[in-house]
Amino acid sequence: MARRYDSRTTIFSPEGRLYQVEYAMEAISHAGTALGILADDGIVLAAEKKVTSKLLEQSASAEKVYVLNDTMACAVAGITADANTLITYARQQAQQYLYTYGEEIPAELLVQRMCDLKQGYTQYGGLRPFGVSFLYAGWDSHFGFQLYHSDPSGNYSGWKATCIGANSSNAQSILKQDYKETGMTLANAKSLAVKVLAKTMDSTTLGSDKLEFATVSKGKDGKIAFHLFSAEEIDQLLKDENVAQFKEEES
Amino acid sequence: MSIMQYNGGCLVGMKGKNCVAIASDRRFGVQALGLSTNFQRMFSVNNRLYYGLAGLGTDVQTLSEKFRMSVNMYNLKEERDIAPTTFASLVSSTLYERRFGPYFSEPVIVGLEKDDTPFICAMDLIGCINFAKDFVVTGTSSEQLYGMCEALWEPDLEPEDLFETISQAMLNAVDRDALSGWGAVVHVITPTQVITRTLKGRMD
Repeated sequence: MARRYDSRTTIFSPEGRLYQVEYAMEAISHAGTALGILADDGIVLAAEKKVTSKLLEQSASAEKVYVLNDTMACAVAGITADANTLITYARQQAQQYLYTYGEEIPAELLVQRMCDLKQGYTQYGGLRPFGVSFLYAGWDSHFGFQLYHSDPSGNYSGWKATCIGANSSNAQSILKQDYKETGMTLANAKSLAVKVLAKTMDSTTLGSDKLEFATVSKGKDGKIAFHLFSAEEIDQLLKDENVAQFKEEES
Repeated sequence: MSIMQYNGGCLVGMKGKNCVAIASDRRFGVQALGLSTNFQRMFSVNNRLYYGLAGLGTDVQTLSEKFRMSVNMYNLKEERDIAPTTFASLVSSTLYERRFGPYFSEPVIVGLEKDDTPFICAMDLIGCINFAKDFVVTGTSSEQLYGMCEALWEPDLEPEDLFETISQAMLNAVDRDALSGWGAVVHVITPTQVITRTLKGRMD
C-alpha cells in the first residue's frame, strides 16, 4: 500500500506521512549507537563504531565524532557519507557567521542552519533526505553548555541526555532512569555514558577500538576544549567503570 | 593621493638562525590625521606562523577575517596545522581572485616550517609572492625599511640579536615617514616559543 507513495520525497502519503523521511530514520536505527549527556561543566559524546576490522587504518579520521568549530562538536549516526557532507556544510556555516559577526555562532543557531538544509530535502528538489541524525554538543555565551539532537526531517530539540542509532530506545530508557538533574558533573556524565554503552552495545568485547569518546568542556584558560579520548584513555575509562571485558587467558 | 597611503602603516619580516621575526608599527590615521596608536596589523595563524597586512585599514581587517575563516576550515578538514608555504599560496590566491578590483593591502608572512626551517615572504596587492632569503618589507615606509634592513641585517642572527636588529630597523625607518610609527610591536618566533614585545618609540 505504501509503495505508491514512497518513491518521491516531496509528497505525502494518504495518512499524512513522509515515507522517505521515515525510511531515512530506519537507516539510522541500524547505525552505531551515539549518545550525549549534558553536565554542569561540560558535555560527553560517546559512540560505538560499527565497522571495525583489523585491516582498517585506525589512525585515520574519526567516524562518529567530529569537531564543528571552536565551541561545538557533534556525533553522527547513519550514512557516513551523508554525514560528511552535512558536517562540511555546518563548518562552513559556522565560519561564515564568524566572518560576518566576529563572534562564534550560537549553538542553537548552527543546529537551525543544519535543520533548515535538511528540511529543504524533504520538501523541494526531489532528492532523498540525508540519512543521518546528529547530536550536537556546544557552548555559547548565551546559554552555556547545550546538547541538541536533529533528525532527517529537519526537526530538532534540546536534551539533557539522549541517544541515537541502534538500541537507542533501550539506552534512552536507561538514561531516563539514571540521569540526575542535580550534581551531574562531567565525571559523573562520563561514567554514566560508559555504563549505558556497556549495557546496550551489541559486541561482547567492549574495547577502545570499538568506541569513540569525547568531551566538550571549559579549560582552565576559560576557552572551550574539545577532547577526543585516545585508545589508552578509553581503556582507562572502561577499567575505572569496571566494564572492561577481560579477554580469554592465553595459554 | 594614493589609496595605499590613505591610512599609513608598515611591516618588516626577518630571517634569523632557526627563528623569524615580524614587526609592525601601530599608527592608524586618515591621511595627516592620526587616530589610533594601537592598530593591529599583525595576526597569528598558529604559534609558528604569523602574518601582517599593510595598506588600507579596512582591507587589513577584512582580509584577516577572511584568512581566519579559511584557516579554520583548513584545520578542521585537514586535521593539521597549515604550513607557511601553503598559507602563502592561500593568501596569494585570495588576493588574485580580486585581480581587477583588488584589496589594497600588501602582506608579509613569517613562520617556521615543519622541520623548523625559517620562512619569510611578502606579496604585492594582487598576490605576487616574493620568497626572500633575508628580509621583507611593506607599507608606507618600505623604502626606509629597505635601507635600514640592508644596513643592519646579517645572516644567522640569534633570536635576541634578531629582535634588536628588527627593532632598530623599524624604529628608525618609521621616524622618516609621517604616516608610520606611533609605537611598534615585535614578534620573535622560535621552535619553542613566541616572544612578543612592544617597543617604545617616538610618538610624533
